[in-house]
Amino acid sequence: MGTTISKEQNSAAAKDAADNLSARFKDAGITVEVVEHSAGKKYEFVRISCSPDQWRAVAKHLKNELGVNHCAMITGTHYPSGDADRGWEVAYHMHRWPIHNVEAHTMVVHKGENLEGNDIPMEFEIFIPLASSDSPSVPSVQDLWVGADWNEKETWDLVGIDFEGHENMHRVLNPHDSPVGFHPLQRQHKIRYHDFNEMYDDPQGFGRKPADEGRVK
Amino acid sequence: MAEMWITMGPQHPMTHGLWTLRVKVDGETVTDTEAELGYIHRGVEKICESREFVQITPYCDRLCYVSAMTWAHSYIMAAEDLLEAEVPERAEYIRLMAAEIQRLASHLMWLGAFGPDIGNLTLMTWCLRDREMFLDLLQELGGSRMHYNYPRVGGVKRDIPIGWANRMKAKVKLFENRIKEYEMLLDESTIWLVRLQGVGYATAEDQINAGVTGPNIRAAGVNTDVRWTNPYSVYDQVDWEPAVEKPTSIKGADCYDRYRVRMEEMRQSCRMLLDAIEKIPGGANTHYQPGDEMLITKAPTRAPEGATGFSTYECTRGVSNFYIQGGGDGRGKHPYRVSIRSPMFITIPYVAKTMIGYKVADIPAIMGSFDPCIGETDR
Repeated sequence: MGTTISKEQNSAAAKDAADNLSARFKDAGITVEVVEHSAGKKYEFVRISCSPDQWRAVAKHLKNELGVNHCAMITGTHYPSGDADRGWEVAYHMHRWPIHNVEAHTMVVHKGENLEGNDIPMEFEIFIPLASSDSPSVPSVQDLWVGADWNEKETWDLVGIDFEGHENMHRVLNPHDSPVGFHPLQRQHKIRYHDFNEMYDDPQGFGRKPADEGRVK
Repeated sequence: MAEMWITMGPQHPMTHGLWTLRVKVDGETVTDTEAELGYIHRGVEKICESREFVQITPYCDRLCYVSAMTWAHSYIMAAEDLLEAEVPERAEYIRLMAAEIQRLASHLMWLGAFGPDIGNLTLMTWCLRDREMFLDLLQELGGSRMHYNYPRVGGVKRDIPIGWANRMKAKVKLFENRIKEYEMLLDESTIWLVRLQGVGYATAEDQINAGVTGPNIRAAGVNTDVRWTNPYSVYDQVDWEPAVEKPTSIKGADCYDRYRVRMEEMRQSCRMLLDAIEKIPGGANTHYQPGDEMLITKAPTRAPEGATGFSTYECTRGVSNFYIQGGGDGRGKHPYRVSIRSPMFITIPYVAKTMIGYKVADIPAIMGSFDPCIGETDR
């Protein structure tokens, strides 16, 4: 049987982390809340919302005080039709895993019920809304978590959000000779049959027209 | 001797897929590396924005053809978090068994591809032979050999067929003996030991900071397993232990440790399967019709704006995450944004950097021991 983290341990750890963060940043206007997943075992996690200039301070606090050692993923989203102060958003998902002081020739098998404090695995979700602009950017955390390096590259490549201070930024999934400013996950780029359900409206593809129709005889 | 750059890939036996490793060598020693990805980028995240939630599952199957079931399951968990769907317990057991069979098949594919890298061609034929047994089992569930489209939001597509339980038990018991055969073949083979031991060291702390997860980090002496500490399905109800390996050096785990931990993980998967089939609610030899409340519950098809779903799933190569935002086109029928975290996308650049200081001949051993898969890397 797996020795799991109990719901009480999980919510206590989430509350501790949230209290710690709100005590440290209470004057800065950062919102911290504890949210529950609605699927599975309904574990709780910490959701933080901050502005780009606060992000480096929050990130350092997460790493040094709360033991967050794993930058799982970075998601950029484009909201062209939303509010002017939330034209873009960067969502960071971070995890805390109990990994430290591992020695050679020994192995650590954590038992869920014995974990306490900063050893309890916890998930952090950080939202950074950015104002609408042609050149959105947030500070890079590449130097804190090596794992953020390629995540930031990918977010810039696909969504076009720039990471200030990121070293060696280059295309990772798109071709290296993609046009400057082409970031396919921005909402102005439509895929070919966007807003058109080819599976039901045109299953055989008879309705498809070549792009140069009318110009070629 | 002057340093020079060598390009390995995109077509190279070491790469296990389409990508390029640029290596700077000084004689035989690797002094710098650079990974280039993106050869099979298909834009899955963009395509998902114009699909309904149920239509996205097949795309997630195709993220990685070696472990389609776990990737579809990972997506479905995020969709369930978003749409607030409950899953019946029988469906959870079936999903657990499907995912563990997929894990066996995936690890066998890894071992089969890793053997020829090291110089053991027998291994490939043996592993592919055994993998067929498990693909047959999955085919009975999903209907096709590799891309199953099996999990649904709120349950599974259909029940296990009559007789599947006995076939599964027989195959798993047979395979438990086959693992011993593999170990007799490999653990005393001089070539295998010489090429794997003492190369490709990586410590647990470095790996977690670099974003590496899964068996690669369990080889370095810690059991970071989502299934063990924060179980998502019914992993807390079946009998198993996490596979952990003692790292052989202060420098962390070497390639041999990473090979050992996957062999142990296959054993644990077998143990889980044999236990789960005994404990499945409703009985192993009953067959419920598709859509029965034992198998699937009704789930909403639209998600409101501002709702988010997130899943953390122990895939065969590490932790995969899905992050979905609701409120897209079709009044919420489509997601606004789907973001995929592939464990290998983060691992491959890390592995490229761990090779520095080793010889060129060690590159296939180091790269192969981390189990790269390019389908999920490039998405």
